[in-house]
Amino acid sequence: MELLLRGGILHDPLAGWSGPAEILIRGRRIEAISRSIGNVDVPALDLDGKIILPGLIDMHVHLREPGGESQETIASGCAAAVAGGFTSLACMPNTLPPADNKTVISYIKERARRADLARVYPIGTISQGSRGEELANMWELAEEGARGFSDDGWPVMDGGLMRGAMQVAMSLGLPIISHCEDLTIADQGVVHAGPVGYRLGLPVIRPAAEAAMVARDLLLQEEVGGKLHLAHISSRKSVALLKWAAERGIMFTAEVTPHHLFLTEEAVEGFSTDAKMNPPLRGAADRTALQQALSDGLIGVVATDHAPHRQLDKEKDFLGAPFGVVGLETALPLILSQLLSKGRISWEQLVGFLSIAPSRILNIPGGTLVPGAEADLVVIDLQQERRVERNDFYSQGKNTPFQGWTLKGYPVLTMVSGDIKMLAGKVKGFSRDFKETVDAATHRESI
Amino acid sequence: MFPDNLLSIEDLSVPAMEEIFQRAAFYKAGDRGKIYSALKGKNIVIAFWEPSTRTRVSFELAVRRLGGSVLDLRPDHNSEKKGESLEDTLKTLEALGADALIFRHGQPGLFGKLGQLIDIPLISGGEGCYQHPTQALLDVFTLMEEEVALSGLEVVIVGDILHSRVARSHFYALPAFGARITLAGPPAFLSAELAYPNFDYTYCFDEALPRSDVLYLLRMQRERHRHLFPAASAYAALYGLNIKRLASLKRIPFVMHPGPVNLGMEMDLGALHLLEKTYPDKVLIHKQIQNGVYVRMAVLDLLISERVV
Repeated sequence: MELLLRGGILHDPLAGWSGPAEILIRGRRIEAISRSIGNVDVPALDLDGKIILPGLIDMHVHLREPGGESQETIASGCAAAVAGGFTSLACMPNTLPPADNKTVISYIKERARRADLARVYPIGTISQGSRGEELANMWELAEEGARGFSDDGWPVMDGGLMRGAMQVAMSLGLPIISHCEDLTIADQGVVHAGPVGYRLGLPVIRPAAEAAMVARDLLLQEEVGGKLHLAHISSRKSVALLKWAAERGIMFTAEVTPHHLFLTEEAVEGFSTDAKMNPPLRGAADRTALQQALSDGLIGVVATDHAPHRQLDKEKDFLGAPFGVVGLETALPLILSQLLSKGRISWEQLVGFLSIAPSRILNIPGGTLVPGAEADLVVIDLQQERRVERNDFYSQGKNTPFQGWTLKGYPVLTMVSGDIKMLAGKVKGFSRDFKETVDAATHRESI
Repeated sequence: MFPDNLLSIEDLSVPAMEEIFQRAAFYKAGDRGKIYSALKGKNIVIAFWEPSTRTRVSFELAVRRLGGSVLDLRPDHNSEKKGESLEDTLKTLEALGADALIFRHGQPGLFGKLGQLIDIPLISGGEGCYQHPTQALLDVFTLMEEEVALSGLEVVIVGDILHSRVARSHFYALPAFGARITLAGPPAFLSAELAYPNFDYTYCFDEALPRSDVLYLLRMQRERHRHLFPAASAYAALYGLNIKRLASLKRIPFVMHPGPVNLGMEMDLGALHLLEKTYPDKVLIHKQIQNGVYVRMAVLDLLISERVV
């Protein structure tokens, strides 16, 4: 499409841009970025002081397809993504069947192509069937388009297998994404080992279950090399190990989820299954340590671990309900409301952990807006304020622990490859009046 | 004053508990053979999904003595095998005309969900490691009968606190009447997070023992343990009540246990015999069992028959 974005404020740290900008888009690409493009004969969209960022990348989501279509489909997950400002996703391989073979990898890519919303980068399994016994054919998965490897949902308990996987991944230039949990320590736990969990009489997951595996993987990385990415870090104990590793020169990247950044085990009160996830929500000191690690750069990525489940399953009793929460449609507003608006992080940091870092780890396009690049971007209205309402989600999963929170700062336009996928909350192919919304906006002065 | 469901001691105010105790005392003072009419014409389902003798029988006797009829439901003769969910089963029971449900189940948090699904009262007979409210009530009633002041009373709870729903109910019940709680047990069963800020806790039983006015021994729930304690004999040596420990005491505390006692673990036979022979007034274990019926009668009476619909 042809479009001129006028009157926006662009934050693009890699391009060294932080200020008013006009962006001219032609076809799939950015043609020009300038303070003033001048007269061009293309439809214009006036952003009226809204914020433009490079498209956001969520490198940890569960799209459930194939096999879990009653929880989420690639199309509904991608609709949730663009509604939340994300232009690219990396989806975890714990589907049914799992993405441990190229047929599933290619199926995911095909479904994503048909959905025509966000870019989807499949992650392949580390082991066959994610059973942790034999390595998956990682070369073949990479050839088919896997952008990393993980047995996420389960840890790789066998350290020898993990070392082997790191060696293969290194030769492919792709990351290992580790779900850090020592199952023998975690036992059958479901909540944090804190006062709330103990009072409710629920079996607990001690922080050491995570930290022990973080330590093992860091030590293996030091010996093997390659890209190690530690998923969903939840405890201050793990943060201390990351600090140790950084000082020692061990190469790693790590991510934190919005729910671990903004919630504690208190959310589990009353046996709330919407707050049941793995790793569990921990204490206030853990939350503080995670926020600190993010602003220090020790943790470089925010990823949602978007894990849609059927209401039917989440309505079970606490032990029987599945782990996981959805995150795609709340992550950005949460970060804007809780961190950016409060001055705890800068726009540069936000773009760093929601776009630049994931693009580098996965070695995928994005992270910056430069002429010639594919036009993947998000526009944010910092003034928009509303309550989180799960029934308004595009995701089939309604399992959010943030229901009813009032957040300020929402994405209002998401563009992928020069094509508007979301405008004013309407998603292409999902909202009946999407086309009318786009037509009206591009001819009016302001969206 | 009384909640629709009794799932946790937290559901009860102090005046509500006091009224339960008064009603229990009334029933205890009455003729043992008398059948009351509080539950006349009412069908009470007793559904125990975990093994139990004393609690189930005690509830059953309580229902019968109040003139109600008991529908005994057990997991091996219900429809779960046909794929019927617990939710369906309960709704079916309600539709069939059950007036109340007394339920025991291994999963913490389950009753809160189920209570929202049905309109008839749901009374916990023990819920996972979460709560066992009638046990705590009958324990407090038993202590009150001894005419000791609960305010300032030092209660030392010993043993497998991690897995104990009885202890978790006492975390509310005892402090509500001013008693002070000290927890004692091996680290595997007593993490710091388990103790409320105003509780003392120690891994050393011998340190806590001398201060006890009441010694509440918890049953070692070996069926729930994995890698937690190496041997029964080791537990007995460190945390078991024995003659040597009793002999070291200047004053003998009241000894309570929710039952059944694992002799040789929580207490050895010598200590039990010594207590029964020399300090029979101090062993409350038998009274706890007896009072269980009266307290449960009171609970059922007040929650079910006096329910305002």
